[in-house]
Amino acid sequence: MRRFAFSAYLLLATFAVHAQTGTLKNGEVLRGRFVQERFLVGFSKPVVSEGSFALLPGFGLIWQAESPFPVMTVITGNGLVQSVDGSETARLTASRLPFLPRLYDMLSGALTGNLLALENEFSVTSAADGRFMRLRLEPKRADAASALAIVSLDIFIDRFVERVEILKPGGDRDRLIFKNQILHKGEPTNAELRALGAAK
Amino acid sequence: MRRIAAICWLAVVVLNVCYAGISIIRGLPLQTNILSLLPSEEQDHVVQQAKDLVTRELMQRIVLLVSHEDPAQARSAAALIQDGLISKGFLLSVVDVPSMERIKELGSVYFPYRSGLLSDGDREVLQQGRGDDIVRRSLSQVYGFSGTVDGRLIARDPFLLFPAFLNSLPVPMSKLRLDDGFLSTHEDGKTNILLTGILSDDSASLTFQRKLIPQLDQMIASVPDVSVLRLGAIFFAYSSANLALSETAVLSFVSLGASFLLLILAFRSARPLFLAMLAIGVGMTCALSLCLVWFGEIHVAAQLFGASLIGVAVDYALIYFGQAFCLHHNVDQRLRRVFPGLLLGMLTTVIGYATLALSPFPGLHQVALFSCVGLIASFLTVVLWFPYFDRLQFLSLPVRMRRIATSLWQFWSHTRFSSARFFVFVGFIVLCISGYARIFTDDDIRNQQSLNAGLLLQQSEIVRIAGFSQSNQFFIVQGDNTESVMRLEERLADRLAVEVNSGRLVNFVSPSRFVPSAERQEQNRQLVYSQLLKERLQAYKEQIGLDAVILDERSDYLGLERVLGVGAFGFMPKLVLFNSSAGVGHIVVLEGVRDPRSLRMLANDIPGIRFVDPTADYSSLFAVYRQRALVLIFVSAGLMFPALAWRYGWGGGLRVTLPPVLALVLTPACMALLGQPFTFFSAMALVLVLSMGVDYAVFCAEDSGSEDPAVLISVALAMLTALLSFGMLAMSVTAAVKSFGLTMAIGLPLAYLLAPIGGKAGIVSRRVERG
Repeated sequence: MRRFAFSAYLLLATFAVHAQTGTLKNGEVLRGRFVQERFLVGFSKPVVSEGSFALLPGFGLIWQAESPFPVMTVITGNGLVQSVDGSETARLTASRLPFLPRLYDMLSGALTGNLLALENEFSVTSAADGRFMRLRLEPKRADAASALAIVSLDIFIDRFVERVEILKPGGDRDRLIFKNQILHKGEPTNAELRALGAAK
Repeated sequence: MRRIAAICWLAVVVLNVCYAGISIIRGLPLQTNILSLLPSEEQDHVVQQAKDLVTRELMQRIVLLVSHEDPAQARSAAALIQDGLISKGFLLSVVDVPSMERIKELGSVYFPYRSGLLSDGDREVLQQGRGDDIVRRSLSQVYGFSGTVDGRLIARDPFLLFPAFLNSLPVPMSKLRLDDGFLSTHEDGKTNILLTGILSDDSASLTFQRKLIPQLDQMIASVPDVSVLRLGAIFFAYSSANLALSETAVLSFVSLGASFLLLILAFRSARPLFLAMLAIGVGMTCALSLCLVWFGEIHVAAQLFGASLIGVAVDYALIYFGQAFCLHHNVDQRLRRVFPGLLLGMLTTVIGYATLALSPFPGLHQVALFSCVGLIASFLTVVLWFPYFDRLQFLSLPVRMRRIATSLWQFWSHTRFSSARFFVFVGFIVLCISGYARIFTDDDIRNQQSLNAGLLLQQSEIVRIAGFSQSNQFFIVQGDNTESVMRLEERLADRLAVEVNSGRLVNFVSPSRFVPSAERQEQNRQLVYSQLLKERLQAYKEQIGLDAVILDERSDYLGLERVLGVGAFGFMPKLVLFNSSAGVGHIVVLEGVRDPRSLRMLANDIPGIRFVDPTADYSSLFAVYRQRALVLIFVSAGLMFPALAWRYGWGGGLRVTLPPVLALVLTPACMALLGQPFTFFSAMALVLVLSMGVDYAVFCAEDSGSEDPAVLISVALAMLTALLSFGMLAMSVTAAVKSFGLTMAIGLPLAYLLAPIGGKAGIVSRRVERG
């Protein structure tokens, strides 16, 4: 459960950073590709997956891993649903996930460029890093760090968020690389709406 | 001698006035709990203990739902209210919010035993040989969005069965989540925060209600724009108590007002009015005082019914002063003339009220004592004090009233009305046949009370928003030891799962859902080994690049007491009813019961498991006691008859008994024709119709056949005052009280109209005396 809260923080951070470069509004959809590398303690090699994502303000996030294992993760204010080939494999409701819904509420603030909510939970520092602006987020309170299972979160921004690196207490690291990000105007596609609907 | 008795009675009254006065100044210990009116006649003490536990748990809990568009404002308002309630000592504890430390501790207790802990879903999948489904779920979590698990966990629980088990724990209030220390949910742009707590004092105590609820209202008013919904027995009890008290006030006012008006109109003097007030006041004060001495408290329902006593107590004054209409009786002769009738009337009425004490309902015991003491005190006041204050001279009856009264006497005695009487009796038979063909009963306890509609609406909103749906039905599981009880629970759980899937039940919470029996833990270990570790682990490890796994290799099993010891969930210890050398009993709590009958049947063939439905049980009790109340009527008549037979002889006794018995038979038929159900409370009212009806017949019998219209006028005044007070009960919004009042409103006039039938008994009596 803690891990999921962490994921939500990541999601929020991502949105928040979008807000730094240009506010994502209702009626807009950010779509793109990702490469996710997980460096897990006890694993001989990183767990790598690739796929596409769609971020829909007011609706949620659709995270479709395509290889090596196709799995769709949909996150909404109600919780998280994972499915493989249309069959649900996991459902974590908001009631089981401390912090996520609150973070999801904070999402709207982040989308409108309001980082205050984030700054309540994290100390945020920024620095130039090559062509990127790098934001480092660290939980302010030790108990929050423990609850969220996160040590630090680095976000690398160009026009959009280009890379996110997360360090976890047990030594695990995640790296997310975003590519081909395009901000679309218009409503979500039917497939996206179906995916979000299944998560309700 | 009479003077000494009057002085002694004065001393007794002064003592009672002092005691009642001090009690009122200190604050009357009023009881409002409707359940305290009900019997606790459960034969099985285990079931009774469980009922008491669950009832107490539900009665003492309050739930508040604090809502605002701004989450921060909602949280700060919730904190203010919660802190206020705790700091003022209204709450013993805040429940259902486990701290992060407790959750961590719970995880550390569970984790070493993880191989034996499976969610019901995973267990079923593995039993069906669908290990690949578990593998696919694990892969989806490893490759899914940013991973919901870490490397250390995967190494120790490669198929991620432990998080699935934790996720399946049946935590109540399914829609809520822990957010910044509060149970919260978001809906329609609002943040809703649920506060739950256990009250520090009896929720049925009106004194406590009067302290808590205004303070709570004040706290809520101090956070404007924040909406607060409330749920809890204390709120319903407070509302019902206020309703009962205001009804009592209206009843008393109308009853007293109407009685006084009647007295002034009838006697054209204030003296009888003041003396009647004296008799009533002494009766009420002594009744209150003795009730407080005997019971230590008084129930508002006893007060409500007791208020009707005014109408009966005034009868003695009316019968006494009714003698002023008789030409032949001066002031000195009045008491001698009415004493036998008053004494016999008082005795029979007291017998009628005392019969209420034979009922199993504790609240009615108070009504019985209150009424009997009140009646005896009013009677003593009339016979011991009235002669000293009575200055009333002869009063002539208005001609029209005299004519009506004379006609009623003659209707039941003269031969020229024989045919009319025949047709009246035929009419009675037709009325009985058509009425009893339509009669129906209603014993459902939920229909007998009137719950505040606003609070009911708030309750349904809280249930909808929070997913809070605990039912008061539950199962009791009993066995020799914890292991055998847990096994039984698991058998029951398999069946309850079917009910949940079919929508007849929302959820259920039992100890074995938090800690499986040792037998099931072993079965789970075998399943995990055969379906996952043995056949699929190697390929899975290679696919995700996992080097090595560290499996749980414990040989012992997790015990329930270990998890209870953590104290993460406040409700868990209450699921263990008892655990001693004599045996173990657990409770399985149910949420959202939609079909209690199927649940009752479901437990029938598993020895050691019982379904308990307190509401249905109370309704069944009402049915049983409705029948017993009818028996009480015969008992009551049987107890009165010797006194009547002693005075009027066997035949005369029967003649005096006939009018009230006819009223008893006709009243339920009339109610049925009016479309009203016959309830336990109707039956209890019939007991009073009998005793008061006997009173009327006795007063007529004491006329000794002279057919004095003054007697019937006096009895009419008595009946009218009783009708005004009991008839007012028919206006109550509480169905039980209304049913009681309506029965009286029909039965009393019938008893009066038929009372002259008893007149001839007096002739027999005089013949006996002369003979």
